[in-house]
Amino acid sequence: MRGSVTTVFFKELRDILRDRKTLLLMIMLPIVVVPLLLNSLISFVMEQQKESETEVLEYVIFGEEHAPDLAKVFAETKRFKKTTIESQEELVTAIRSDEIDFGIVIPEKAASRLAEKSQATVELHYDNASSGSRVESRVEDVVDEYNEELTKARLIELGVTSSRKRRAVLEPVHLAEKGTGDIREVLGDNVGGMLPYFFIAFCFMGVVYPAIHLGAGEKERGTLETLLLAPIPRHQIVLGKFLAVFSGGIIAVLLNIASLGTWIAIKAGQLRGTLGTMIGSIGWLDLTLLALMLVPVAAMFASLLLSVSIYARNSPEASSLISPFGIVMIVPAVLAMLPGVELNWFWASIPITNISLAMKELVKGTMDYTMLLAIFGSSTLIAGLLLFFCTKWFNRETVLFRM
Amino acid sequence: MLQLSAITKTFRLAKRRKTTAGAIDPRERGRTFYALDGIDLEIPSGGVLGLLGQNGAGKTTLLRILSTSLKPSSGVVLCDGEDLTKNPLEIRRRIGFVSGNTGLYGRLSAREMLLYYGRLHGMQAAALRERIDELSATLDMEAFLDRRNETFSSGMRQKVSIARALIHDPDILLFDELTTGLDVAAAESVLAVVEMCRERNKTVLFSTHHMDEVDQLCDRVAILHAGRLCFEGDAAGMRQQTGESFLDKAFLKIIKAEPGEVAA
Repeated sequence: MRGSVTTVFFKELRDILRDRKTLLLMIMLPIVVVPLLLNSLISFVMEQQKESETEVLEYVIFGEEHAPDLAKVFAETKRFKKTTIESQEELVTAIRSDEIDFGIVIPEKAASRLAEKSQATVELHYDNASSGSRVESRVEDVVDEYNEELTKARLIELGVTSSRKRRAVLEPVHLAEKGTGDIREVLGDNVGGMLPYFFIAFCFMGVVYPAIHLGAGEKERGTLETLLLAPIPRHQIVLGKFLAVFSGGIIAVLLNIASLGTWIAIKAGQLRGTLGTMIGSIGWLDLTLLALMLVPVAAMFASLLLSVSIYARNSPEASSLISPFGIVMIVPAVLAMLPGVELNWFWASIPITNISLAMKELVKGTMDYTMLLAIFGSSTLIAGLLLFFCTKWFNRETVLFRM
Repeated sequence: MLQLSAITKTFRLAKRRKTTAGAIDPRERGRTFYALDGIDLEIPSGGVLGLLGQNGAGKTTLLRILSTSLKPSSGVVLCDGEDLTKNPLEIRRRIGFVSGNTGLYGRLSAREMLLYYGRLHGMQAAALRERIDELSATLDMEAFLDRRNETFSSGMRQKVSIARALIHDPDILLFDELTTGLDVAAAESVLAVVEMCRERNKTVLFSTHHMDEVDQLCDRVAILHAGRLCFEGDAAGMRQQTGESFLDKAFLKIIKAEPGEVAA
C-alpha cells in the first residue's frame, strides 16, 4: 500500500511544484510578500505616528480677548501656528477644506466665568472624521497644562499651598493600576488573534491550487480515468493526492512562519522601545508550536477542498465552488479576534476558532496544555473524518463521472 | 474471453431532455437514462472487435464498464470466468485503455509519465526501463521521450497515451476512437499499433466511426444503437445482411432498421 501511496504522492508533488502559479502562491508569497507587507505596515504606522506628533497644526482663535492667557498659551505652544480666516461662520468650511487644522472659540461669557473663578467652556472645532488626527489630544494637552496652572493658582488663593495638599484636594482617592500581564501577554492579546488569521488564510491559499489541480484538473485533462485504471485501491489514490495537497498547505505555513521568524529576528534588533521588546518576546519555540497547531488545519482544508474539487467538472467550476468555502473557513478564524472571545471549553469545541484561540494563547504564553491537547486531538479527528469522507466520495461514479 | 450478460447501465437525470426534433429520447424512462440496455456479447480471446455506433450509442460506456471505471447497473461481465466487479484490481492488471479523450500530465515528460504508470502497475525498475525503451522504439517516440507532454502534437500525445496503456503489457486492449483528430500519418502509425496487438494475439476492442479502419483491422464487428446491441458478426456479414457493398451504407441501414432510432 505504502508504495502506491508514495508513488502517487511524489508524482503529484512534482506536478504541482512545476507550476508557476503554485510556486508563486506557496513559496514566493510567504518569502517575499509577508516581510514586505509587515515592513510596510510597521513603517506606515510609525510614519503616521511620527507625522501626527511633529506636524505643525494651523489654527484660528475667536474670542481671544475673553481669555487672553489661554490664547497666549496656544500662541506659545510649539508646532501650533496661528492663522486667520474671514469670519467664524467659515470655520467648518476651512477645517473641511484642510485650510486650517482646528479652531478655538472662546465665548464672551468665558471672561466673566473665569473672573468669578467658575468653570468656563471653550469650543474646539476639528475634523473628528479623520482617524489619524491627533488634534484633539494635542489641544487637550495644552488646555490641561493651562488648567493645571489655573487650578494651582486658585488653590493657593484658597490656602492650599503644598503640592501634597493640592493632590489630596483634587484627587481624594488615587487609583494605582498594577497590571499583572507581562509584555508577552499584552502582545498576545493585541496581535495573538491576528497571527492565526494570517496563518490560516495562507494555509488555505497553499491548499487551494493543488486541490483544484489534482481534483478537477485531472478530470479536465482526461488523466483521471487512466489513473482510476491503475490496479490500486481508490483510497490509496486519494491518500497520495491528499498528502500532496496537504504538503502544499504545510509548505505555505512553514515558509510563512520561517519568514515571520526571520523578520522578527531582524526587526527586534532594529526596533527599539516597547514595539521591539514585544516583537522580540516571540521565540522560535512559540513559532514551532504555532506551526504544529496548523497541521490539522492544513489536513482539514486538504480533505475538504479535494472533495469539492473532485466533484467539479473542471477547474473554473472547482474555483467557484471553493470560493464560498474560503469565507466559511476564515470566519471562525476571525471570531478569535473579536474582543471578549477567550479560550474556554465552549470555544474549544468550535473547529478552526479553537485553533486560532489556542495559537493566541500560545503567543500570550498562557496556554492550558490539557486544552491544547484536546484541541489538537479533536481537530486531527475532524481532519481524519473529512479524509474518510473524501475517500468515500472518490468512490462514487456520480462524482467522478458527473454528467 | 470476455462474456457480457444482460449488461444495463443507467444514469440518473437532473431533468428530461428533448432531442432537437422535440421528441423524448426513448432511452429516458422517467428520470432514468438507459445508456446500455441488456447487452449480451461474447468476445473471444485474440483478434480485434470493432465496436461501431453513432455518437451517444453507448460505446464509451461499454468500454468504461469493461475497463472497470464504471460498474454495470445490472448484468454480469466475466473475464475468463471471473466477475469483473468482484476483483477489479486483478482485471485492471490485464487491461489497457486509451480513448481520444484520455489526456497526459502536461508537466511530466513522456518518460516520467510511463515510469509513473509502470510503478502503479507494480513493475520493477529494471523491467520498467526496458519496457519503456521497447515501447519508445516500437512507437517511434525516442526523439521526444524526455520532453514535457505539454509540448506535444496530437499524434505524439496519442502515441504516449498508447504507450501508457501498453506499459504493463496487458492482454486486453480497449481503444476508444483512437484516431479522432489525428492527421493521416499519425492515424496510420496509431493503427499500426492495433495491427501489432492483433499479431501478438491480444484481445482488442476498437471503437471507431471510420469504416475503412473496420475493413482494415477488425476480425469481428458489434454495432450498438441507442444502448442496444443491434448487430454482431463481421464486415462481410454486415454487407451480406444489408446488400450494400460500402460498409458506411451497410452500417446506416442496420441502425435505421432499429426501432430505437432517434431523430437527431
